[in-house]
Amino acid sequence: MSTFCRPTTLADALAALAEPGSRVLAGGTDLSGLIDRGLASPTTVIDVQDAGLDRIERCGAGVRIGATATLATVAVSDLLTRWTALREAAAAAASPLLRNVATVGGNLCQHTRCWYYRGVEWTCWLGGGDTCFAQIGEHERHGLQPGDCISAHPSDLAPALIVSDATVVVASATGIREQPVAALYRRPDVDDRSLLTLGPDEVITHVVLPAPPDASVYLREGQREAFSFPLVGLAVARFGERLVMAAAGVANIPHLLDPDDVLHDLPGNPQSAWKRTVLATLASRGRTAVTM
Amino acid sequence: MLVPERGGAVVPVTVVLCVNGERHEFEIDPLERLADVLRDRIGLVGTKVGCGEGACGACAVLLDGRAVASCLLAVGSAAGHRIETIEGLSRDGLTPLQEAFIAADALQCGFCTPGQIVAATGLLRAEPAPTRAAVRQAMSGNICRCGCYPKIEQAILSCSGGDG
Amino acid sequence: MTRLVKTVTEMEGRFEEKWVLVEDDGLVSWEAEAALRHVGHPTPRLTGPQRVSGAARYTVDVALPGMLHAAVLRSPVAHGRVTALQVAAAEAIAGVRAVLTPASELGFQQRSGPLHDEPLYAGAPLAVVAADTLAAAREACRALAPSIEPLPFTVDIETAWQEQRFDGDLHEEARGDVEAALAAAAVRVELVVSTPGQLQTPIEPHAAVAWWKPDELVCFIATQGMFDARAELAKRFDLPPERVRVITEYVGGGFGGKQNAGFEALIAAELSRRTGRPVRLVLDRHGEQLDGGCRPATRQTVRLGATADGMLTAIDAEALVEFGMSGWRAVTTPALTLYRCADVRGIEANLRLELRRGNAFRAPAVMEGITALEQAIDELAIETGLDPLELRRRNFADRDQSADLPYTSNSLLWCYDRAAELAGWPDRDRWREPQADGLLRGMGCAAQIWWGGGGPPSHASCRLGGDGVAQVVVGVQDIGTGTLTAARMVAAEELGLPLDRVTVRGGDTAPAIYGPVAGGSQTTPSVMPAVRGAAAAVRRKLLALAGDVFEAEPDDLVVDDGRIRSRDGGLDEPYTAVTAKLGQASIDGSGNRGPNPDGYRANTFGCQIARVAVDPGTGSVRVEGIWAAHDIGRVINPLGASSQVEGGILQGMAYALSEQRVIDRTTGVPVNATMDDYKVPTMMDTPPIVVAFAPLPDTLLNTVGAKGLGEPPIIPTAAAIANAFRHATGRRAAALPLTRARVLEAIA
Repeated sequence: MSTFCRPTTLADALAALAEPGSRVLAGGTDLSGLIDRGLASPTTVIDVQDAGLDRIERCGAGVRIGATATLATVAVSDLLTRWTALREAAAAAASPLLRNVATVGGNLCQHTRCWYYRGVEWTCWLGGGDTCFAQIGEHERHGLQPGDCISAHPSDLAPALIVSDATVVVASATGIREQPVAALYRRPDVDDRSLLTLGPDEVITHVVLPAPPDASVYLREGQREAFSFPLVGLAVARFGERLVMAAAGVANIPHLLDPDDVLHDLPGNPQSAWKRTVLATLASRGRTAVTM
Repeated sequence: MLVPERGGAVVPVTVVLCVNGERHEFEIDPLERLADVLRDRIGLVGTKVGCGEGACGACAVLLDGRAVASCLLAVGSAAGHRIETIEGLSRDGLTPLQEAFIAADALQCGFCTPGQIVAATGLLRAEPAPTRAAVRQAMSGNICRCGCYPKIEQAILSCSGGDG
Repeated sequence: MTRLVKTVTEMEGRFEEKWVLVEDDGLVSWEAEAALRHVGHPTPRLTGPQRVSGAARYTVDVALPGMLHAAVLRSPVAHGRVTALQVAAAEAIAGVRAVLTPASELGFQQRSGPLHDEPLYAGAPLAVVAADTLAAAREACRALAPSIEPLPFTVDIETAWQEQRFDGDLHEEARGDVEAALAAAAVRVELVVSTPGQLQTPIEPHAAVAWWKPDELVCFIATQGMFDARAELAKRFDLPPERVRVITEYVGGGFGGKQNAGFEALIAAELSRRTGRPVRLVLDRHGEQLDGGCRPATRQTVRLGATADGMLTAIDAEALVEFGMSGWRAVTTPALTLYRCADVRGIEANLRLELRRGNAFRAPAVMEGITALEQAIDELAIETGLDPLELRRRNFADRDQSADLPYTSNSLLWCYDRAAELAGWPDRDRWREPQADGLLRGMGCAAQIWWGGGGPPSHASCRLGGDGVAQVVVGVQDIGTGTLTAARMVAAEELGLPLDRVTVRGGDTAPAIYGPVAGGSQTTPSVMPAVRGAAAAVRRKLLALAGDVFEAEPDDLVVDDGRIRSRDGGLDEPYTAVTAKLGQASIDGSGNRGPNPDGYRANTFGCQIARVAVDPGTGSVRVEGIWAAHDIGRVINPLGASSQVEGGILQGMAYALSEQRVIDRTTGVPVNATMDDYKVPTMMDTPPIVVAFAPLPDTLLNTVGAKGLGEPPIIPTAAAIANAFRHATGRRAAALPLTRARVLEAIA
């Protein structure tokens, strides 16, 4: 038997999360599907909507975004007008119905859309099995890096936050830490297949944006004009002369690009190599967009 | 298909829902989905389940005035919010938007139509005069397999003060 | 006069000569100039209020007292042998009332299945459970924990071809000597085209609620053909048809995939028979995408020969089909009929694969064939330097060359001209000039042929009550095509009544008024003449009564706008002046579709033009406009008809751009059998669509002059888009859909 709770303070949420087998529910747009497909089976579900983590507020020269702020809110927030890439990424993710409940924290922590990982017919390497079926099967929409898992990272927000030099605040019952968004992610290995660095008792409470870039943009190509995951999603920001680029859809975690050699370390897999062309195009367009 | 096991039944709790202005109380697994509760427990079958994975929009309801996919929403999470379904929107007769859907022929099989109406209602409440581009954006989470999109767009624009 | 006549009927190109009972209604088809008050005028849907308010009850909404819920256990492998099922464990789950496995003795007969101990495709049903709740039924399915020994499979067309795994015989149809004609041709073109498997993806999945009562089996079924469903249930369960009632008030889309009773109705009925309780079986989305059906993928080769000035001298079409419908071969039919050509051959092979067998999906086979043929014609235009539309005009076929018969009507040339005019076709090359946004633009066209003449048997009744309101009953369900609305318009026209004084009922076999399956674009041309006949019978009786009441000659009286008038204007009385005298009685009439005219073929035709914009940097293809002109005879309801065309075009567009069932090559299992991964278009993907209809009723075909419309608009869209892509980029992608990978490869 498992339980469900809706704590009204962060402290209560963290205490509940300290129990083994518990799991945070925010908008539920990802976790519901994971539960339905047997990819998550929490013993306690902690709905954090009442935990007071939904505010977007000024923070020095930047902005602090609560982890349960919805994508719809982020997309139109007046406080975020100078973070163009972030707003564009939030507006491009999923669909309006989902953006009305899907949260910033949930978007960053969502699982890959790899059809072998999600499909009930397979138990793939990432899901604890022996085989990355994508590598020997259908991987036209997958990542550009070879490896144990060639899934494609699905979050539009992650690259937009990474290029904005954002950090995440991660809390547990035992403390709080702050780290760059990129450090949320790790490459899975045989012993730990997780793509996230969050401990089981940890939750993202805030995303902190420092001073805004001088210009930024989020460019993405999906399978259709709306309501699809990014085949390639590229965020570009410029701070003075410094150009930062990060992409979703090209590796199993968000990928920081070398602006002078965007395809570096992204050789492509046989069926997904076409994404290299798209990434190079978007990088060139993104560079133009932020330097005009 | 072998659907892997879910983590066992959840302890039933008392959940109070406010649906179309009426209070409903259940002893229920709080992870049950709002769409199923609306349909099976309250009998509000105007809310449809097309895919069960948030990918079609047929299950759209208004949650505090915003359109959401009720097939993904745990009923425990929906508690305490104001829920409006297609039946609630239609309670005092057809709305101008619904009349516009009929006049424009913005429906064929009609199965997705309640979700379309709900999503469009949410849009028009937030933005009474949306542009054509805003309508297309806002409706992009509601799939119509019959392909009524040109007529749906036209119906919504006919209800807006927007310039198109 | 009632008589039995021998007539040729057709359904999706399958011709059958049969005896049908017809009652001669003495009606003459409305002429093109006829001044009609309702027919031909845009009219909102009869069931609009129910559908927009959530009041419409679909099969998935039916809830009966004591109803059980059924869930299906499906094969996770493409081919295997089930060696064990934990039936006792499933039965032990609280609330489980029945478990069906391949070993169960069923109360009905079916040649193969319906439950498989050697599944031949991923998603094949292995077992079914009925329980008090859906959750319990699903839990019991998990508890069945099948042990499956995997067996070899083939899911790839090439391999199946090499292994000659044919389903049935190769189908070949030819006239003349195509090889000799090709050898002698001044210009030759050869094109190999692959088309994708496409899933119908109705938003309401396949569903049935069955209730086996002591004296009657009642089935609510999400079906396109309730009488076919009734016949199937009666036959399988060995029941008299009158003891089976099928109710299909509303259906959430079918697109060809919901014909007959289907697995779900047969199984729900069996479960109800066993448990004595009503049973609801609704496919979940994964089940729907795996087992709801599909348009099979094809690989086609088209070879054309022509004179230097573009006159076709040879057409050779070959098609390999990825396990399509049994005995249904029409991929190469367009090659045999669309253009005038003496030396023609079509040959197709249906390959047996460990995949879910294809079923009907809007314009089955013909859409696949047109998609290849019309791209080859485009190549011929390029080869000969002719305007693609001019090439088509030169090769116009004014009769069905396969049958050697004239058409009842054919406005294809009008369609070419009208589509060209609407799209600005003569200036199409200006789109190829360098564009400020860096995109490559182009325009392409494609033509369409389909049957869609309908035929008997199809019946209707009409009853006029004392209140002056007419109730029409038809034997068809309205799957969203607007059939009931059209029936109301036709009856109101014939009765001279305002629309709101005519009601129409369908969706129930209980009145025993037969109507055909909603397939093959046959509903309107079959049902509407029957409706008109029934209404005419009532009108005649009414006028006879009016003659008595007003002491006038019935032949001098007419009905219009709810009134009975004399031709000389001396008499002008409301309907109710006569009907009020009926008391509890009513004026009843019945009507039926008459025979098809001897010595003709009835077909629909059309042309579509597409404009696309290709981003050479990302491989994205966006359709910027579709202009469609179709010949469907008389358009009963231009409002609903334009909706049908728009919907068909969007499904055709998706076939060209995004929709494709993807099969995992290593396990043979479809990887995108969800709506999350199988992307159908959204409003954001929808281009401007302009629709025109040829203004010529088909007065030879039937008494309303209408041909069908369900299929025609989906047929040419993908080819038009592929040709526009060719115009824009100078390249042709060998396979559809035009994914970014394929586009980037083609233009590299």
